Amino acid sequence: MNKSRVVIIRSQSAWAAKGRPDPASMLRIFRKGLEVLTGSSLAEDGLRQIFHPAENIGLKISTIGRRAISTYPETAVTLGLWLAKTFGREDKIIIWDRTNEELKDAGYKLSRSAGSLKILGTDTPGIGYGPEPVVNRSVASLFSKIQAELIEASISLALLKDHGLAGITGGLKNYFGAIHNPNKYHDSNCNPYIADLFEIDLIRKKHRLTILDALRVQYHRGPSYHPQWNDQSNKLVFGLDPVAVDTVGWKLVEDLRAKKGLPSLPEERRQPAYLKTAEDLGLGQSRLENIEIIEEEV
Amino acid sequence: MKMNRRNFLKAAAAGSSWFLTLNQLKGSELLPAAEAAPAGANLSRVEARYYDRLPDREIKCRLCPRFCQLGDKERGFCGVRENQDGKYYTLVYGQAASYNIDPVEKKPLFHFLPGAMAFSIATAGCNVACKFCQNWEISQMRPEQVKSRHLPPEVVAETAASYNCPVIAYTYSEPVIFYEYMYDTSLQARRKGLRNAVITNGFINPEPLAELIKAVEAIKIDLKAFNQDFYTNYVRGELKPVLESIKQIARSRVWLEIVYLVIPTLNDKPEEIRQMARWLAAEIGPDYPLHFSRFQPMYLIKNLPPTPVSTLERLRDIALQEGLHYVYLGNIPGHPGENTYCPNCGQPVIERYGYTIKKINLSGNKCRHCQQVIPGVWS
Repeated sequence: MNKSRVVIIRSQSAWAAKGRPDPASMLRIFRKGLEVLTGSSLAEDGLRQIFHPAENIGLKISTIGRRAISTYPETAVTLGLWLAKTFGREDKIIIWDRTNEELKDAGYKLSRSAGSLKILGTDTPGIGYGPEPVVNRSVASLFSKIQAELIEASISLALLKDHGLAGITGGLKNYFGAIHNPNKYHDSNCNPYIADLFEIDLIRKKHRLTILDALRVQYHRGPSYHPQWNDQSNKLVFGLDPVAVDTVGWKLVEDLRAKKGLPSLPEERRQPAYLKTAEDLGLGQSRLENIEIIEEEV
Repeated sequence: MKMNRRNFLKAAAAGSSWFLTLNQLKGSELLPAAEAAPAGANLSRVEARYYDRLPDREIKCRLCPRFCQLGDKERGFCGVRENQDGKYYTLVYGQAASYNIDPVEKKPLFHFLPGAMAFSIATAGCNVACKFCQNWEISQMRPEQVKSRHLPPEVVAETAASYNCPVIAYTYSEPVIFYEYMYDTSLQARRKGLRNAVITNGFINPEPLAELIKAVEAIKIDLKAFNQDFYTNYVRGELKPVLESIKQIARSRVWLEIVYLVIPTLNDKPEEIRQMARWLAAEIGPDYPLHFSRFQPMYLIKNLPPTPVSTLERLRDIALQEGLHYVYLGNIPGHPGENTYCPNCGQPVIERYGYTIKKINLSGNKCRHCQQVIPGVWS
């Protein structure tokens, strides 16, 4: 069996002044990540292996944590612009999340202008959710029309965080933001809901790439922001196998917890069991022995 | 705009497609149809009741048996109560996603002011997730996903009174999750001499229920099955707390009725119905009405047929055999099971057709034929 490759790129120069990510450094990290992940000597060729030029690409980010703990605009916009440049049109790229208010609070400037990068929430007038629930196993949800109708390919650009119920939140759980009723799916450590949701064609068939934003990692008491348990890790994590990426994300969180003397997630009875469920559904690898982890620095 | 009756009527003239009207009441076309706030525009920020503050800005909700424990910016299972920086807020206080005038028979309440009209309100949200929900388009939504209208408690009470509705009903979605709005409205209603009816799943903790009982006059509970498996697989709730709520309400002065939606093959086993009827007779006595309601395919259960009338009749017979005095059949207009029969002489004391009262043979609270006391709230 081929191992799933997960690439971790570290950068000590990830940050600009005022604690914000440096866009130029972000681009270097993205380029290196794609090169290593795809084995291409040119990062853009790596992107072309993953996406078709005609596709509209959605970047599902996480802004529920508002200003304090969301996907940084410097990260998402840099990626969006690079994709746009590679494939020739800015308006084929949509950076999106649940609501415009959350996007704005996280520092994003909304945009729907023709010819430019689109940044918008599902609650944008004229978008919203589909009319009928999509059902799969334990999940029945209305889907954001952005995910369902406006894009053909998706990147989960998620924050890596400890999560009081799910164990960790990463690329898989990020798609809770694509449905109207995520509040219904936090029982039982979000298991099997996270896996059942991802298995739905509207996500599974469109998802191409996971990038975990681990520039800063909330390794305890997440998903809320608590500065005393937030580590500046300076990493982005890349993978084509969404389960493997989150499994590596879990390891990063556990490493930080161990370093700080905190109990492991299994010891706190909140291990992300949904990863094993996802593997059982054939969505990817949840065992580290089946994952090739490559870590590099730029 | 301040919502007084004048504005309410003025708004009505504007018309609105989202406003629900029923035709049981001729005056219902006069109901307001003011411009609804667009989805997301009207989230309230009123501090919730029944929660504990925990370290690190976490909270634990004590309103319903889920006991959601939430970090900052997170919402409970209901989707309408949110932790904001360590304080818990209801987002739906005064935010009516649906409002209407219905006969109380529609709730159904059969022993509570027969023929009375109830000004009925609901917000978005619910603390369970029934796969057969008939109001899922508001109950399974978060408040920013539905259109709502700002109707604060005093406006609800004022409007109900202005249309001669003696009852305000908290209904359609799940009033437990808009507890603060319901509670404050019920106090306003009482000041105007109106009464309050709660249409609920009964999935609430004893402490808030005890307070609610002091503020309302009638509660109808949807008992969705008499086994936990059904509650797990089709409701995502728990049976035991609902049974405890039924007992708690029956011990109070509040009028109680119970509805059981019979879904073919899922919760229609005669032996289970017999157990339920025995439990009701033993725990709360034979005099609280039990309604068996006919299922229609909807929401996530569209693959089952409507409940056969013969099934409903059989279940009604079982409940009567087990000693319950008032067992009704619902969603079968014209069926004799809609009528109230005197348990002493067997004569009909209230005859109904659907939600319409055809004839009342009560003298005060007694059967006109034999003077048997018929329990209920009749005036």
